[in-house]
Amino acid sequence: MSSEPALMSLVAVAKAIADKKVSSREVTRSCLHRIAQWQPRLNAFMAIESEQAMAAADEADAALAKGANRGPLHGVPLAHKDMYYEAGKVVTCGSLIRRDFVPRTTSTALQRLKDAGTVRLGSLQMVEFAYGPTGHNVHYGAVHNPWNVDHITGGSSSGSGSAVAARLTFAALGSDTGGSIRMPAHFCGVTGLKTTVGRVSRAGAMPLSQSLDTVGPLAQTVEDCALLLGLMAGADSEDPTASTLPVPDYMEATKGSIKGFRIGVPTAFYVDDLDTEVARILDETIAVLKKEGAEIVQVELPDQRQLTAACQLVLAAEAAAFHKRWMIERPQDYGPQVLMRLQNGLAIPAVSYLEAMRWRGPALAAYLAVVAGTDAVLAPVAPMPAPTIAESDVGNSDGAEAVIQRLTRFTRPVNYLGLPSLSIPTGFSRNGLPVGMQLIGRAFDEATLLQIGAAFQRATDFHARVPELK
Amino acid sequence: MTKPSPKEAKAMADVAGVPVNDDGATRIAGSIGPAFEGFAPIAGTLPMDLEPASYLVVQTAKVSK
Repeated sequence: MSSEPALMSLVAVAKAIADKKVSSREVTRSCLHRIAQWQPRLNAFMAIESEQAMAAADEADAALAKGANRGPLHGVPLAHKDMYYEAGKVVTCGSLIRRDFVPRTTSTALQRLKDAGTVRLGSLQMVEFAYGPTGHNVHYGAVHNPWNVDHITGGSSSGSGSAVAARLTFAALGSDTGGSIRMPAHFCGVTGLKTTVGRVSRAGAMPLSQSLDTVGPLAQTVEDCALLLGLMAGADSEDPTASTLPVPDYMEATKGSIKGFRIGVPTAFYVDDLDTEVARILDETIAVLKKEGAEIVQVELPDQRQLTAACQLVLAAEAAAFHKRWMIERPQDYGPQVLMRLQNGLAIPAVSYLEAMRWRGPALAAYLAVVAGTDAVLAPVAPMPAPTIAESDVGNSDGAEAVIQRLTRFTRPVNYLGLPSLSIPTGFSRNGLPVGMQLIGRAFDEATLLQIGAAFQRATDFHARVPELK
Repeated sequence: MTKPSPKEAKAMADVAGVPVNDDGATRIAGSIGPAFEGFAPIAGTLPMDLEPASYLVVQTAKVSK
């Protein structure tokens, strides 16, 4: 066991607490100590609830001493993106508009983790209303990348990526509508799972796009993500869009070999216009997977640019509809970039939106036909490592959308198709910034992605590296 | 499908009940234009009998490796 409990993985610390090798108090204190050290540099937390967290940790320890283990995450301190409603707690959604919003109910995903025994550390920063890929936030300040604080974390789950990377929390919920889990995972060097649309209930999670929103975890390891997904996934009477399909044993899936697996690598789009560092790391990732027994096959995917465009039409129209009332009543309370992006949705005719929605079925069928002989598709999450905060601070200029388009180029097609995608740390650039790759799977087949990702992490240590406080 | 001009973007925003000024309309047209251009090969080609909920059928269909 590590001398600094906060450095352990989620799975390891949960077992250590359950086995009484470390107390929840010691673990929580270790996290709070690191938060105190790092928060001034990272701005990863929206709220830090030190006293409440220590009290909850003491309660967890007392319960365990009496033989009452509340669940697989008994006494494990966590913090989540500040868009998951928790009854009685302020949930800002990274916005000024919801600065004082206190929901009456708790989101299903969060409640299921609470039921598993977690302790709340506070809440994590995010892009305003989860509508932006960089991590900037005009109201609460940009979140910084722990590997180099001059660089972005990616968004919109900016605090989740930053806090997990710096080992301030063992894991964090994020959300992924256009890449908002995978990009922070890629830029910050952590593992992130975008789930299939419908795999995890969205009840009590701030909406952005009802067709594209997904709930998922960011954590140190694939195993950690598997544990969290198993706890959160499944039907929910509060969310009729949550699937009733059975929930597999995701932890068991992480133990399997990938010998004989066929992994597709796209011949175009995802391999075009890559920074040399990302291209190098893609090749190195392929080499590791081959060494682990996987067969790499080239796949010619349907035109991904059309998927990206369809995604943009759907996302912009749905986001504008969610925000219309505030766009009328409180436009001055939005950050300029976010308001600008919301306004884009006003110029999409209903017919165009509905066409983009109707094409979703045929587009998914065409994609699945091409990847039918593979277990997953491997692709970069983004064409570059994290840019600096300054160079990606596009204000309200016309160039904003171009920057966003490049950052989200490789993530949006997956959102449109509603598929699961696992982002894993796969290397570092020469200037020390993490680079991740995504494994894209079939709908509701997160287990296969977790199996491949876990095999990769058994063969590498990129996920285990910890940034140093400078 | 053609991308909206600034004038059309302004009119649509007005109809939506969220008016924007001329500069805002120009920016909207420039920002959302690439999405219309990217989707143009699909727009207007979908058969009438395509069930809008076919996505759910495809998503949950058993797919062999």
